[in-house]
Amino acid sequence: MSEPLRVQAIGSPQYDSKRLAMLTRWQETLVGYGLILPSLWVFLVFYYGPALFLLYIAFFHWNIFASHSTFVGLHNFVVLVHQPIFWQSLLNTAYYVVLVVPVTTLLALGLALLLREAARIRGGGIARAMVFLPHVTPVVATSIIWVWIFDPNFGLANTALRFLHLPQLQWLASVHWALPSVMIYTVWHSVGLYTILFLAGLSTIPRQVLEAAQMDGARGWFTFRRILWPLIGPITFFVVVLVSINTMQTFSQIYTLTGGPHGGAGGPAFSTTTDSLLIYQTAFLYLHFSLASAMSVILFLLILGLTLGQKLLADRFVFYR
Amino acid sequence: MWQRLLLYGSRALIGIVFVIPIYWVLVIATGYHGAAYALPPVWIPLFHWEPLIYVLTHTHWSRYVLNSVFISAMTIILVVITSALAGYALAELRFPGNSLYFYAVLGVMMLPQQALLVPQYVVMYHLHLLNSYTGLIIPFGASTSGIFLFRQFFKKLPVSYREIARLEGVNTLRYIWGVAVPLARPAVATTVLLTFIASWNQFQWPLIMTNSASIQPIELALSHYMQAYQANWRELTSAALIALAPIVLVFALTQQHIVNAVAGGEMAQKE
Repeated sequence: MSEPLRVQAIGSPQYDSKRLAMLTRWQETLVGYGLILPSLWVFLVFYYGPALFLLYIAFFHWNIFASHSTFVGLHNFVVLVHQPIFWQSLLNTAYYVVLVVPVTTLLALGLALLLREAARIRGGGIARAMVFLPHVTPVVATSIIWVWIFDPNFGLANTALRFLHLPQLQWLASVHWALPSVMIYTVWHSVGLYTILFLAGLSTIPRQVLEAAQMDGARGWFTFRRILWPLIGPITFFVVVLVSINTMQTFSQIYTLTGGPHGGAGGPAFSTTTDSLLIYQTAFLYLHFSLASAMSVILFLLILGLTLGQKLLADRFVFYR
Repeated sequence: MWQRLLLYGSRALIGIVFVIPIYWVLVIATGYHGAAYALPPVWIPLFHWEPLIYVLTHTHWSRYVLNSVFISAMTIILVVITSALAGYALAELRFPGNSLYFYAVLGVMMLPQQALLVPQYVVMYHLHLLNSYTGLIIPFGASTSGIFLFRQFFKKLPVSYREIARLEGVNTLRYIWGVAVPLARPAVATTVLLTFIASWNQFQWPLIMTNSASIQPIELALSHYMQAYQANWRELTSAALIALAPIVLVFALTQQHIVNAVAGGEMAQKE
């Protein structure tokens, strides 16, 4: 009811425009805070709050069921570095990241180059969608079929190897091949996303540049190395960072492909126990919340360090931005 | 000519390679009993729907499906509301802390989810939200990408619309729901689709935050089922098909929109 009054007030002499501006400014601030409040509340309570709380748990001897806690400094971290399984998990994660990041990035780039002109041709969008489809599928549901694919006796993977006259593998049942099997699943599940990002990056390159290069006789590899590659440098960096962050936190497919609810995940013989899985098991299977928090802090720092390191490298080697 | 053919051929081949595992879920789920053990492998689905119908009508699966539908629907509603409100505030209103909040939202994106699970569990414990629908919905009731998306769309609205609304005495909330949101329909569609996919595929959070079977969503139920029905491939893939079908169906109908949204959204984050 007060709103129409204010409109009339504009014309009336006792309200000068400055005063009105002050009023709306004040209202605008209030309304602004009101509008961000719902999402701010969610972010504070479920994201920023826990992030701070993480530090607290990591430096205390702390138990969810006990009411008191004692400050123990770095004790949790000291316990951690004396656990062989902790080092094993870091090693597994490193192995996983070091293989998945370059393979995913290169494959995504290759697919993007192949599908580049696709959007303009009939049926081309379909291929793009098919490559992207695995990324939107639920991990547990598609893990089921991949467990079958990796079945040593009847699975598709060994059938294909037999067809090619290659030696057959034990896949998920083997200490050496369990983690690579998970890598294959991860690449299949996620490469579509990065392909789309590369496609978006490639689409920003003006056609004239490529046409001009073609006129000057640039072909194949030369075109890629001298023209496309420098131009997609920034997007490549972005993709590498994103793949690294995501692969360092792989959880669901390891959990479902290698074990399940009864603690079998991470096997055989801890060969697929990565940092995320170990954090989960330490906290929710063995209820060592403080140890798990110490591990989480380390994971946090590792991800931060990796991202910053890549940023430094990119500043040196990615010239064009 | 040959080059052209080669290009088409390789594209078709790539598409097929990526879709084959999903196709095989259908082959085994609707094939004859023991199709998973056939050598050489069976290629053609037989469309025997009986096991699937049995699973839906005689087990708890309909409950799990309903749980997932309910959780997804509630999350979508919350996300659209909170994103539209915050997106509008960030795009149109000048108030101290506006740009600070922009970076705060960006910061949420940077937090590594796996490192936060333990303290998040503790927070949920103290809020008495463990093992409840609320606990599966509220933490996902605000979306960083949703906020940025709405912000982008609202920024493109002409300032004059807002001026007219103000002179007509329309209050901000009514303006947002009556004018701004209807004009930002593509943003609503994108937010709904991406939230649906994320919410339906939710696995790790319910795994940690729930322990009673009656509220678990479909993905979590599926992982328990995987353990109990090891190597009963037809039953397992039938259940997997129930989890997969809505996603594949929605994707098939809206793939153009989803792919563009993902490309645009991720690119926008990069800026």
